[in-house]
Amino acid sequence: MPNVLFTNVRILDGSGAQPFTGDVLVQGNRILRVSRAASVGSATGATVIDGAGATLMPGMCESHTHFAWNNAANFDDIQRMPTEEHVLWCAHVAKEYLDHGWTSCVGAATAKPRLDVVIRNAINEGLIKGPRYLAASQEITVAGSLGDETLPHIPYPEYSFGAVVSGPEEMRKCVRMFLKYGVDSIKLNLSGDNFVPFAPAQTTWMSDEEVAIAVKEAKVRNKRVSVHARSCESVKQALRHGAEIIYHASFTDNEALDMLEAQKDRIFVAPGLSVILKLLYEGEVIGVSHAKAKDMGYEVELEAAVNSLSAMHKRGVRVLPGGDYGFSWAPHGSNAMDLQYFVKYLGFTPMQALVSATAYGGQIMMKPKDLGLIKEGYLADLLLVDGDPLANLGVLLEKDKLLAIMKDGVFHKEPEVRAGRSRWSLSAA
Amino acid sequence: MANVVFTNVRLFDGSGDMPYTGEVQVQGNRIARVARGSRSIPAAGLTVIDGAGATLMPGMCEAHTHFAWNDQPSLGSIQKMPTEEHILWCAHIAERYLKRGFTSCVGAATAKPRLDVVIRNAIEQGMIPGPRYLAASQEITVAGGLADETLPHLPFEELNFGAVVSGPEEMRKCVRMFLKYGVDTVKLNLSGEYITGLPAEFTPMTEEEIATAVREVRLRNKRLAAHARSSESVKQCVRHGIEIIYHASFADEEALDMLEAKKDHHFVAPGIAWLIHTSHYASEYGITPEIAKNMGYHRELETACVTLQKMRKRGIRILPGGDYGFAWIKHGTNAKDLEYFVKYLGFTPMEALLSATKLGAEIMLRPKELGQIKEGYLADLLLVDGDPVANVAVLQDPDRMLAVMKDGVFYKTPEVRAARGRMGLSAA
Repeated sequence: MPNVLFTNVRILDGSGAQPFTGDVLVQGNRILRVSRAASVGSATGATVIDGAGATLMPGMCESHTHFAWNNAANFDDIQRMPTEEHVLWCAHVAKEYLDHGWTSCVGAATAKPRLDVVIRNAINEGLIKGPRYLAASQEITVAGSLGDETLPHIPYPEYSFGAVVSGPEEMRKCVRMFLKYGVDSIKLNLSGDNFVPFAPAQTTWMSDEEVAIAVKEAKVRNKRVSVHARSCESVKQALRHGAEIIYHASFTDNEALDMLEAQKDRIFVAPGLSVILKLLYEGEVIGVSHAKAKDMGYEVELEAAVNSLSAMHKRGVRVLPGGDYGFSWAPHGSNAMDLQYFVKYLGFTPMQALVSATAYGGQIMMKPKDLGLIKEGYLADLLLVDGDPLANLGVLLEKDKLLAIMKDGVFHKEPEVRAGRSRWSLSAA
Repeated sequence: MANVVFTNVRLFDGSGDMPYTGEVQVQGNRIARVARGSRSIPAAGLTVIDGAGATLMPGMCEAHTHFAWNDQPSLGSIQKMPTEEHILWCAHIAERYLKRGFTSCVGAATAKPRLDVVIRNAIEQGMIPGPRYLAASQEITVAGGLADETLPHLPFEELNFGAVVSGPEEMRKCVRMFLKYGVDTVKLNLSGEYITGLPAEFTPMTEEEIATAVREVRLRNKRLAAHARSSESVKQCVRHGIEIIYHASFADEEALDMLEAKKDHHFVAPGIAWLIHTSHYASEYGITPEIAKNMGYHRELETACVTLQKMRKRGIRILPGGDYGFAWIKHGTNAKDLEYFVKYLGFTPMEALLSATKLGAEIMLRPKELGQIKEGYLADLLLVDGDPVANVAVLQDPDRMLAVMKDGVFYKTPEVRAARGRMGLSAA
């Protein structure tokens, strides 16, 4: 692999520092040198990318990813996809994330037992293209809660996107099965969700005994626990038991916020606001009127979530973008919307939103000293962006504005070059 | 899609004519113009590929493909691969075939019920790159036949790469299931196979079972293929009208007469490389020539060569491809078959090339629009550095496959030297 020199680029290094013009030299899969001045002449043998003033930033991290959601308007369509198609779908989606500048993704839950681990392994083996990926289990849930899709006359577990357990011993068995398969994190559905009328967001379902045993088994193998926790009680439950990744956290009280703040160096919050916002304001396209969405509880939840998450952000709790893309109202690839939501609803500055997608991303990927910054010695996950994301976060939504995408020192998308004549001369006559 | 002119190419057009210097224009997914000489096709506004004397030929067809075989040394390894990994493997292999110049493949059997149909559908939907593909069922077999891999204490059907049936009613149910899934062909294992300890000349399936399978398949206008090494199994194919006959090693004079009488109906894809490599080139994996000989492969190879030479003389359609996907005969190296057709079966290089192109179109059921470079035909094209008519072995070299086009779209684009653009990619 020849060295690559990005020259004449505006470097947004992910640390929160203001961008500066300079050069970045990549050697192998790492950033060898970052310099503020042009370093022409000192990069002999390197491939030189003249950025012409474009922005070079770290690859982004999606902290709450469901490759297995299939851009449908309901859960049913997810489970009606057979395993073979589902794996190919996940492979297709994994590439799409990379195409959109997400060089890291944290799996939040998958829909059949092994989809996530198989995709992670295939990416790592180079069999398919995709971001760095941490694989999740299915959502472990209890009868009647989010993830249990069985019907009285169709009681088959394959019908659910979650894994339904009852009691600590079933939990232990279930967690061990996912650990055997090789997941990086175990997902527990602690609260309900307004999308399913039988288990609204403010309800809390799992017993402490069940949660405790799941966390214990995960810790035996040094794996992490993530939780679906919309209700205030479920957020506290997650914190009491030592879960690392809290998804949603819409409803909190002062006690919950204090607990979050006390554990802020250990935990991550990825709210996944798109579901609430899209259903509340753009739900008509899938037959959910504003009135219906309000009736489902989304207006109340949005207000609570805005308050909770703004407070967390002020208290220095790490709030990260990503979450629950993969539905018809928020298809895979549109995830950078989250950065704009953070600014519009949660009081982030554009710089803070970018830091949460890059520097925090390196941290949730468990590579805080290796990933998420443009810094000497860090892994070369880089985006060359045509535009200034600080002035307009919307540029990150446009594939065409991503001039180059590099993961682990290898171009996933190479900057375009004009073709010249060669032996097989491809030319427009 | 392409609006491309290939100029300065040596055209092997798949008609049987000797190659000539010419030009080909592709518009959309079809061949719009074929011209002799140079500069006779106006190139204004088109992308021009100057072949500099390379050969332009129709994409090849592999007539006996098992995407699901996983380049391992045993049949057991195939079934130990879980469904999720298996489907990704098949997708990966489909791309490999295309890359190596096979723009069409006939699925010969898959290893889990739906692998082949899912891959075919994904290719057609553009979700994954791969050749034109006809999807097969699993190998339907009888207890104790080839593809029954269960053990007395492990009687689980998922251990089988085949689907095991007993009697016409189980056959009917099984065939209907595969038809429901959407296969293009139903595969029956009519004979044995030495490597599994079953003699090649063993013919275990009953007439009633075969007849039921054929009847169900005809109701949906689909085709059948058979693993048929024994002479009796070849006769069963002809009697029941099974179109695609795999192997046919031991066909006797009566079988050959029967086959010749129906030669417009049948295709034979012997998978000769399997016999050659298992006999002589599998020592690294524990199958020394001596072991192979004891199994029976040397005798079968010898007999198959004689049988297939006779078939060639009788004008029976013999096609390349077959049983690639084992450790000693890996996916992607399938163009070896053309060399073996010349070396072992008495084909001229021209005949071998036509069997991979013109006959390929016939087995793909598209004789009037595929397999030749002809105006109006589908643009499945290979640009090859070398002259395959002088040496069919050039088709085995991936570096000589300069361009691969399927349905008017470059899968492998001819390389161009990069110049400076806005982002000026250059070597400093």
